[in-house]
Amino acid sequence: MNKRVRVIVSGFVLLVLLLSLGACSSKSSSGSAGGKNEIVFWNPFTGPDGKNMKAMVDAYNKTNPKYKVKNISLAEGDMYAKIPTVVNSKRNIPDLNIVHAERIKQFVDKDMLVPMDDYLSKYPDIKAENYIKAGWDIGSLNNKRYSVPLDVHSFVMYYNKDLVKKYAPNALDDNIVTYDEIKAAGAKAKKDKIIAMPVTWMKPTFLSVYSQMGGSITSDGTQPTLDTDKAADTLKLYNDMVKSGITNKDGQDAGQTFKSGKAIFYPEGIWMQNDVKTAKNLNWGMTNFPQLSDDKNKMVNWSSSHQFVLLKNPERDKKKTEGVMKFIDWVKDNSLPWAEAGQNPAALATLDNPDYQKMPQSFLVKDATEQKSLKIFDYKYNGYVSEQLDKIGNDTVFGKLDIHKALKSAQKTVEDKIAQDK
Amino acid sequence: MDVKLTENKRVDVLSPVSLKPRRKGFNVMPMVFIGPHLLLFALFFLIPIFFGVYISFTNWDLINTPEFVGLDNYKEILFNKESTFYTQLHTGLGNTFKFVIFTVPACIIIPLLLAAALHVKPRGSKVFQAIFYLPVLFSISAVMIIWSMMFNVSFGPINHYFDSAPNWLGTQPYAWVALVVVTVWWGIGGNMIIYQAALNGVSKDYYEAASLDGAGRIQKFFHITLPSIKNQLLFTVVITTIAQFNVYGQALMLTKGGPSGTTTVLLMYIRQNAFGSGQSIAGIGSAMAVILGLCIMVVSIIQFFLLREKK
Repeated sequence: MNKRVRVIVSGFVLLVLLLSLGACSSKSSSGSAGGKNEIVFWNPFTGPDGKNMKAMVDAYNKTNPKYKVKNISLAEGDMYAKIPTVVNSKRNIPDLNIVHAERIKQFVDKDMLVPMDDYLSKYPDIKAENYIKAGWDIGSLNNKRYSVPLDVHSFVMYYNKDLVKKYAPNALDDNIVTYDEIKAAGAKAKKDKIIAMPVTWMKPTFLSVYSQMGGSITSDGTQPTLDTDKAADTLKLYNDMVKSGITNKDGQDAGQTFKSGKAIFYPEGIWMQNDVKTAKNLNWGMTNFPQLSDDKNKMVNWSSSHQFVLLKNPERDKKKTEGVMKFIDWVKDNSLPWAEAGQNPAALATLDNPDYQKMPQSFLVKDATEQKSLKIFDYKYNGYVSEQLDKIGNDTVFGKLDIHKALKSAQKTVEDKIAQDK
Repeated sequence: MDVKLTENKRVDVLSPVSLKPRRKGFNVMPMVFIGPHLLLFALFFLIPIFFGVYISFTNWDLINTPEFVGLDNYKEILFNKESTFYTQLHTGLGNTFKFVIFTVPACIIIPLLLAAALHVKPRGSKVFQAIFYLPVLFSISAVMIIWSMMFNVSFGPINHYFDSAPNWLGTQPYAWVALVVVTVWWGIGGNMIIYQAALNGVSKDYYEAASLDGAGRIQKFFHITLPSIKNQLLFTVVITTIAQFNVYGQALMLTKGGPSGTTTVLLMYIRQNAFGSGQSIAGIGSAMAVILGLCIMVVSIIQFFLLREKK
């Protein structure tokens, strides 16, 4: 009896143990995450855009390629935390990955990416002429091609057509709204309790205006240059607008203000248009980000780009890599669903599509001067700068933090972090 | 010793299914029972802790091999006053301590009072018990999204109904008030249930005897209730303190560490250094985490020492 109970209990416990261990290790038997004929594709699209990406992948798989794509969407933060782990352990490395343009320099520096040049000879259409320049150039480092762009997404400005007619009738004549025009419109609209423009995401706002002023976040590609007069002027420009009462007050919801028709202009990303569309009775349009000057050639629209990259993976053989390139090539000609997610596909082939031409964000791609205005802030330590701008942006503009002190501390923080990169 | 052994033997004979050892030597049975937990504990707790401590002595970007740098990271964050990381550790730890001091007393006293009130079994006590307990079941993100809407300056119900206009999440001291209110609201249920169970265990005889001696309600609470549930109080004080030291989600989602970094808690700096949008500085992050762990340990030991039963 005694013995029997023991045997039963130990047997049971052992079983649970083995089962739980089995669950832990079920995937680790093979080096690559995917099956033999499967391309494991990681991307950071967990929002509504994730659905559009999945639809594209499904459509590709319906063409019956030899290597089917398995779409895995991960929250952006999780994905970037996972990449070093899988690369280090050499297990479960995805066959194809989307990363943001600003990360590529760092990834190449750390020797994490495979150059695509050898495979591109079979796909002659994947070349500079067929993509938006800003998105294409970012993938070329040390004379090698490390990435192919999926899109170029920009931080632009939405406007309320009715309010523009009323308070700034001539501002959009040249499709460039200057800060002077915004200030003038704000002064006019104040008596009706309409604001000119809420303060939105300060990171792209700062980078765009700083660049218009002729500033740069790095002097030589390594050293950050944040504590400068031009940077202070950039923040002061916004601080002054806040003080004059033509923006939202601190803490007031910017999107809500615009969508309820209480703001004339609304700087936001092109990817937010599906959200803006949810506002009923809002007659809106899209134009360039506000500029300091009327000169079209000096225009800057902050942009970033999602890029296809190949993480180093010893398990991905040559044939599979060719399968990956086939998918990237297919995306080049079938990017319309991605435009429907609010983005500008990097592949210019989409421009031939009349549906795309009707989409508001396509104005950035149609015209060569507009294309030139798309600026990706490519700096190896861009991540550190972004964190600092997110930290000081709102607080300085709303007068809670001294501009000079904030810039000084941001500069110091970025320098100290870089110093750790030994 | 001898007497005890014979006693054991007698028990062994009497009980039909005994798990006591019959012979001297290694006994497998207890190991079988704690084995699975021990394994998971080692896998997900012990090994990461040792690894984390090791990383704190290295310079590591998560990609290349960690480079051993000895105590450099600790020197940097503890003694190099010029360094950003020194400032981060001190601000972060300071804000974390503030958060602990603001929230822990409320997280003990409010659930205790609610449990005492429910113990009298007023009408609808079950309904209220459910209402008080409910927030614990929500995930932190859901709670923080709801409350950031509640505190919203333009369309939040708090400013609307109370006819007030402070920017709750963007100015001090309102930001701290918001953080404390939300944390207490979220955590009431856990401690309350423990106190309720403890109160049920206190014998009614004590109260009757006290009544006969003419003790009032308040006297009974302080002289009978509190001493009777002392162990549970100690347990919840320690557990709550540890939980609040690990504050992250509230400050991250509600105030985003602002205004001007006044609610940036240490875990936010640790996370940003190790897994931020820039290249990882895992060594410094780990060293900060070790310091935080030591602080929690020291505070817990002091609490144990102060609240333990004096014999």
